[in-house]
Amino acid sequence: MVCALRAIALTLSATLAWSALAQTDTTTSAPPSLPTLALRLQDFFQMPFGPKGLMISDRLHQAHGRRVRITGYVVEQEVATLGQFLLSPRPVLMSQHADGEADDLPAATLFVRLDAQQQDWAVAHARGLVEVTGILDVGRQEERDGRISWFRLQLTPEAIHSMNQVEITQYLHSLRHTH
Amino acid sequence: MQFSALRQLTAFALSTLVWGVYAAPTVTRLTPPSELFTSGQAAPVIARFLPGQRFDLQATLRPDDKAKSISEARFAIDGKPVNGNVALKVCETGCLKGVPANATLASVRAVSVDKPGLHQLTVTATQSDGQTVTANGNFEIVPLVPGGQKVKNIIILLGDGMGAAQRTAARIVAGGYAQGKVITPLAMDTFPVTGMIKTASLNSVVTDSAPGMTAYVSGNKNNNNEEGVFPDDTTDPFDNPRIEYLSEYLHRTQGKALGIVTTADVFDATPAGNAVHTSSRGAGTGIVDQFLDDRDLTGLTVLMGGGRKWFMPSTTPGSARSDRSDYAFSATDAHTADIVKRWGASAGALDKDRDLLSDFQRAGFQYASDKATMDALDGDKTERLLGLFAHSNMNVALDKIDGRRNKARGVTGRVVDDYGFPDQPMLDEMTAKALRVLDRQKKGFVLMVEGASIDKQAHAMDTERWMLDTLEFDRAVALAQAYAAQRKDTLVIITADHECAGVALIGGSKVSDARLQTLVREGSGTALRDAVVGVYEQAGFPKYRIAADGYPDTVDIDNRLLVGYGANSDRLEDFRTNDRPLQDSQQPFVKKEPLAAYPAGPMARDAEGKYMVTGQVPGDSAVHTATDIPLSAFGPGAYSFTGVIDNTDVFFKLAQAATRGVVEPAGLRLKH
Repeated sequence: MVCALRAIALTLSATLAWSALAQTDTTTSAPPSLPTLALRLQDFFQMPFGPKGLMISDRLHQAHGRRVRITGYVVEQEVATLGQFLLSPRPVLMSQHADGEADDLPAATLFVRLDAQQQDWAVAHARGLVEVTGILDVGRQEERDGRISWFRLQLTPEAIHSMNQVEITQYLHSLRHTH
Repeated sequence: MQFSALRQLTAFALSTLVWGVYAAPTVTRLTPPSELFTSGQAAPVIARFLPGQRFDLQATLRPDDKAKSISEARFAIDGKPVNGNVALKVCETGCLKGVPANATLASVRAVSVDKPGLHQLTVTATQSDGQTVTANGNFEIVPLVPGGQKVKNIIILLGDGMGAAQRTAARIVAGGYAQGKVITPLAMDTFPVTGMIKTASLNSVVTDSAPGMTAYVSGNKNNNNEEGVFPDDTTDPFDNPRIEYLSEYLHRTQGKALGIVTTADVFDATPAGNAVHTSSRGAGTGIVDQFLDDRDLTGLTVLMGGGRKWFMPSTTPGSARSDRSDYAFSATDAHTADIVKRWGASAGALDKDRDLLSDFQRAGFQYASDKATMDALDGDKTERLLGLFAHSNMNVALDKIDGRRNKARGVTGRVVDDYGFPDQPMLDEMTAKALRVLDRQKKGFVLMVEGASIDKQAHAMDTERWMLDTLEFDRAVALAQAYAAQRKDTLVIITADHECAGVALIGGSKVSDARLQTLVREGSGTALRDAVVGVYEQAGFPKYRIAADGYPDTVDIDNRLLVGYGANSDRLEDFRTNDRPLQDSQQPFVKKEPLAAYPAGPMARDAEGKYMVTGQVPGDSAVHTATDIPLSAFGPGAYSFTGVIDNTDVFFKLAQAATRGVVEPAGLRLKH
């Protein structure tokens, strides 16, 4: 029971953290000489796709290892993966239990990683657009759940903070009463 | 003291008794599954097969002590030893948690029985100390009887998640009603025979799409998430006891071809459940590999849908191929080597860098990457066809139609542009091409056509999207019906695998769309419901105007059809079509990009009206239900599909029509 409550609290905390991200640049490990690069998820690939594979855009290749700022929608997952969430150029609801990887995820979906100390945190879904800033990693990688990621963004620990009881109450209220 | 001594003596006696009873090897699983093995009751019979249909035998055997082992196992059917090697796999590695390391799986692959009737399966195992154990199960061979006309082609049209309510909704939208009478019926409404299907899987009253499909084409119940196999005690998703599919049986015995057309990713449960044997519907790399590598078993000739991500080498951006979701059978361990040896199946390989698309082309498949290239192919001259029109699932009918109408609901324009696949075919267009290609098959074919996103959009409770996908599906039904009507040798069934979301048509809107938008903007919560939902005669007859392309010119009409969900998660509802521009003022970034138009989920969209419907299931998605579903049939053999029947019955009726000829159900015969 204690674990479940903790999970809920941690889950909810992420939502507030994203708001903070909009106002403060919390990234600290980026190359100091380069400014934060603004990227759009819809510019990750050359569009429309060709008859075979996808072509990563030059702009994205150049952003590999850089501190970038990206805006997108948090993918609503039936089964959240601890320590990360997905950011997509359009809203997606994943019914993983029914559909597994036969999904509607756009190819340009970003795997956003929490800090190493926050790997047991489950991140909740948040409404509307969110903006995240972190170090971009481009290339194929197998995730713990078996999915293949091609783009990852590493957040700093300050990107996420725990939510207190008042914030939890306010968050739950906001889910049901949007005003 | 006396009492204590007595108690100790009793405890010793009991332990001796327990040891005496259980000090012997045990059989903890006997496959095919049976109630005779599980509960000791001879009925109901769980596993049924056609005469000659192949299936695997397997038993899980546990020694009575960790120092002992299983040295031998033998299977017998009706007391006669089963021919074939008994492969023994010891559970030192690769077995489920809780299965002892010295437990042993005994298997005989690809067994078949010709004699109709009930049969007893016996396994006898010998432990290293000479002790033996015997267990019994049963299965039935369903007789095929002489009939009339033999059906040459079988078309299975499967509207995933399509219950009776989804059909009715599509009829109201597409055909309309006048004074209680349908103006234009759906094609599926014109099928002469309809029955009801019981959909339970082997392990639940609520099936998922994997056993929902395989019941129709294997004659047997599978566990949820499993395709063409019985459950086992190993972790390997590709080594389970197999059951021969309809496609395999008819290809082996008659040379029929197999066609698969879907709007989903082709590795999804329904398409895979016609040709692939795995206990993990998510094992994408192995599933798509098996489509090609076992084409000599299934007769695969047409494969169309989404899912290009599985066909590109892992080094290609966007590829989802991985060795973890692949398979490779052993050349030396008979446990899986016998699948290759006795089934004639491919051994597979861990080959994430495989260019499967090129391998398909080398195997003679013409490749269509979009509607234009599909249309350019001459079906009459195309031997085999692979169509991959999206990265994973194809876009749904509403978004594809909006794309053709240049309606910009998306981020960069149209939704199909957002996904990078602006020229995707509709399901009926794919079906037409598949029929042209398969029509060349002199020995006939089995074609499965799936309207996949009826289910997927019902999960999301996205009413207008599943409605239009049902219309799209019905257009494919009409094509299949016309084909069968012209040929007169083709049996067509349309059905679902299960119902999804507990859809109920609760009435019609009492207000115009303009008024509805005003009410939504006012954000009056439950009052929105009370102002909008018209029940009984207030619902009237919603009138949708159908455009030349066959779809409503808008789904946001005045006095629209209203839908409720009986298996819903929490959701906000404003009764209007989703993916309309919707800004969430709570987010500080909302003004930054046109992307702000998109809502995200059932609790993130429709927020303005402030009307929340409390869910009856946890989570964010609506779920499948256990409700019976309709099946309609057309063509020779159609009259077999009456009554309330089990989903596995469908397989035997299809096989009867294709092998010995159509028969009239006994209950329909009149005495002369």
